[in-house]
Amino acid sequence: MKTFVRQFLRQSLWTLLALPALARADYSWNFPEPVTPIARDTLKIHNEFMLIITALFVVVFAIMIYSMVKHRKSTGHQPAKFTGPKGGLQWFWALLPFAILLFIDFVLMGIPAVHAIIEMEDTKTKADMVLKVTGMQWKWQYEYPESGVKFVSTMSTPREQISNAAAKGENYLLEVDNPVVLPVGKKVRVLLTSTDVIHTWWVPQFGVKRDAIPGFLRETWVQIEKPGTYRGQCAELCGKDHGFMPVVVHAVPEPEYLAWLDKKKAEAAAAAGSGDRTWSKDELMAKGKEVYDKQCVSCHQANGQGIPNAFPALAGSPLCNSEWQTKDGKLIKDSHVDRVLHGKANTAMQAFKNTLSDVELAAVITFERNNFGNTMGDMVQPAQIKALR
Amino acid sequence: MADSPFAPEELARRRASARRLAWLLGAAVLALYLIGLFIKR
Amino acid sequence: MSVATTHPGEHHEHHPSGILRWLTTTNHKDIGTMYLTFALIMFFVGGIMILAVRAELFQPGLQLMQPEFFNQLIGVHALVMIFAALMPAATGFANWMLPLMIGAPDMALPRLNNWGFWLLPPAAILLTLPFTLALFGIGDGAIATGWTFYAPLSVQGGIGVDFAIFAVHILGVSSIMGSINIIVTIFNLRAPGMTMMKLPLFAWGWLITAFLLIATIPVLAGAVTMLLTDRHFGTHFFNAAGGGDPILFQHLFWFFGHPEVYILLLPVWGLMPHVLSTFSRKPTYGYTAQVYSFIAIGVLSVIVWAHHFFTVGMPVPALIYFMFSTMSISLPLAVLFFCWIATMWRGAMSFETPMLFALGFIVLFGMAGLTGLVLADVAADAQYHHSYFVVAHFHYALFAGGIMGVMTGVYYWLPKWTGHMYSETLGKWHFWLTVVSFNLTFMPQFFLGLAGMPRRIPDYALQFAEFNAISTVGAFILGFSQLLFAYNIWRCVKGGEKAKDQVWESAEGLEWQLPSPPPYHSWETQPEIK
Repeated sequence: MKTFVRQFLRQSLWTLLALPALARADYSWNFPEPVTPIARDTLKIHNEFMLIITALFVVVFAIMIYSMVKHRKSTGHQPAKFTGPKGGLQWFWALLPFAILLFIDFVLMGIPAVHAIIEMEDTKTKADMVLKVTGMQWKWQYEYPESGVKFVSTMSTPREQISNAAAKGENYLLEVDNPVVLPVGKKVRVLLTSTDVIHTWWVPQFGVKRDAIPGFLRETWVQIEKPGTYRGQCAELCGKDHGFMPVVVHAVPEPEYLAWLDKKKAEAAAAAGSGDRTWSKDELMAKGKEVYDKQCVSCHQANGQGIPNAFPALAGSPLCNSEWQTKDGKLIKDSHVDRVLHGKANTAMQAFKNTLSDVELAAVITFERNNFGNTMGDMVQPAQIKALR
Repeated sequence: MADSPFAPEELARRRASARRLAWLLGAAVLALYLIGLFIKR
Repeated sequence: MSVATTHPGEHHEHHPSGILRWLTTTNHKDIGTMYLTFALIMFFVGGIMILAVRAELFQPGLQLMQPEFFNQLIGVHALVMIFAALMPAATGFANWMLPLMIGAPDMALPRLNNWGFWLLPPAAILLTLPFTLALFGIGDGAIATGWTFYAPLSVQGGIGVDFAIFAVHILGVSSIMGSINIIVTIFNLRAPGMTMMKLPLFAWGWLITAFLLIATIPVLAGAVTMLLTDRHFGTHFFNAAGGGDPILFQHLFWFFGHPEVYILLLPVWGLMPHVLSTFSRKPTYGYTAQVYSFIAIGVLSVIVWAHHFFTVGMPVPALIYFMFSTMSISLPLAVLFFCWIATMWRGAMSFETPMLFALGFIVLFGMAGLTGLVLADVAADAQYHHSYFVVAHFHYALFAGGIMGVMTGVYYWLPKWTGHMYSETLGKWHFWLTVVSFNLTFMPQFFLGLAGMPRRIPDYALQFAEFNAISTVGAFILGFSQLLFAYNIWRCVKGGEKAKDQVWESAEGLEWQLPSPPPYHSWETQPEIK
């Protein structure tokens, strides 16, 4: 019996020793380094609260362990018979812990918490710019409404690394093709929404986490204090590739940000221009494969076979092997082009109209109609897509 | 009634009252459920 | 009315034998045994699922399964553990012990009781069937939305969602029938002289649980029905495009989901004073305070739900209200902790297996409570939420609080049920393996959450690798340690040292006045209430 008690004590001691480490140790045991006012505030609150609850834990279980050592049958301790506090002094000692707890809850923890909430929810005061974030299965779209720049950010970790066929890179699963770029020191109002299911935009070093909800606009804000690359992930289960939609933010000094923005604007103008000319089939097929590998492959798979009962196959699909427009050039409902443009309600098949350019849409549709054994042989031109918008 | 701590008529009375209460609670559950279905936003 | 309760004494042993006995039984002890057996089986089913998940998470990269199967496992693991393991275990306790503890001849509604149990196996089959159907090319597997069914992901899901919706309906009906039965039994069948304030605390805990179930299960049933009609009949409750609101689903779900936590824990809190008082050889401290704390927790539990989704974005006053109402639950909970420790204080403790589990429960559940207090803080919650910190927190609450609480009860009452003593050595091995491996599994998950690992991801960035590996090792030890538990129970059912009527040296209460095991029909004579 004695040895078991001793073991129990040792175990408890271990637990007690491990807990303060939460508050004291370096950052690998705690939140990552904060880079926004909110994150600093949150870390401070978190550290204080951890100290408080650790103190509560130690005091309460020290009393319990003392009792377990002292009041044992094996040491011949005679049990008392009391069933409640008697007399003023006992009542005082019985009620004191609750007064302390009340103070901790509503004053010691409550007041800083209320201040933090008010700061966190104040997205509008002195906001310098707006970033619109749209979650979609399984990528993020970023939009700078003031300058009209808009792009999609997809995970760039190769599938071979995930399936262990290749060595994993340094930023495995936390790297994207188009990182979002934000200026340092500016208060950025982040507006969030989603096109399909609920996603959550989270960068741990910013200390903010907010859901992106289809059909609604939610907001939060960041003011990054230090240039750098900050990585986060979608935090709300959003389907198959929930684990594979990272958030990467480049925080740069303002001039650099403005230069980047100009470059993006020029790129967008060039892309729009390229949609006006007629593309050759080889060009469309090459571009189409590029788009397919980013946007479509996770559901419809590299071989176009889909996943049985979950995501339909494109290979031999009636949709990809039938006309998409009538003789007089009208879009046929539920045809291949209609499906890619407008999606299918209540499935993971989203409306790509809003995320892809005319060229990308034309290319990927052409690619799907002439690949995986599909032999429609026809081409869809960017101009045709443009006409359908 | 040997297998009960209660006299037979006492047990019958208690069981009847238990059944009444059970129906009442069941009705409350059903009402809650049905009210919920009319939630509009 | 039924075989078990209304036939005169000489007909006692005339119940059918074999499988028919179990299908038709209305005896509270038989039904209790079935509930507990079912719970133990489903505990292993849910456990195997999560071991597969932990194996996948042992290293970065996808080794064993595709993400869609991973998502199915985590959701069904939670549904099985909550609805098919923990809740039936607590109902099994209630069935076995309530009539013995309050001096009732049986449950008040024995046939309803039978029906309530026999709804469970079909529901469990419905829940897990899609896994099997997928093997035959029907559907795409079980529900893959996590146990929370969040719309619109669940609107998008495959037939697994429909199966889960019907399973939840059936489980809900079963729970409601069980609850009604418990309430009317406690209100109407207490032995003469047992006033409400003499009621054993276990019965009080269950009484509050039963009321919570009655208040919240219809809301869950309503929410999943709305989901079903959204999926198949063109309604738009949760679809913004049709004027609905996806967040409405979260409000409805957590209006049930938060009280559900206390539904799982209140029976255990009710049991704790019995165990602590027995092994401290000292009467329960603060009986009245504990009763009022149960009631206070029951009331508070239905007004704090939105702290489960602070990150959806709410008005500031709502955030502050839900934060402070959540924090205030710490007060009645602290009363319970105070009373548990005061019950031990200046007693004469001995440390048999049930006592060890009770003490382990208090320490580890204490950690759940304390981390819950910081989670209530909206600002800090922004970092903890949706992360492994939350996963660790609620496993401290529901494994250490719920399941270890149930194990406390099993070891405490097993000799009473079977008439034999379990093996104390095996019990202690089981306890120490469980406690150590439990901490090994879930302590690293706190740090994973702080470092920024979201929950429900099948693969993770490299900086999370070490803690995940430790956690998986812990989980496997934890899982395999439970085989000791099953073996110990099986051994005890088969035979062993004869248990005394009182079993434990200073156990108090009516149940210990009966023989071990109690006769098929308890209370042939009226028990005396002191």
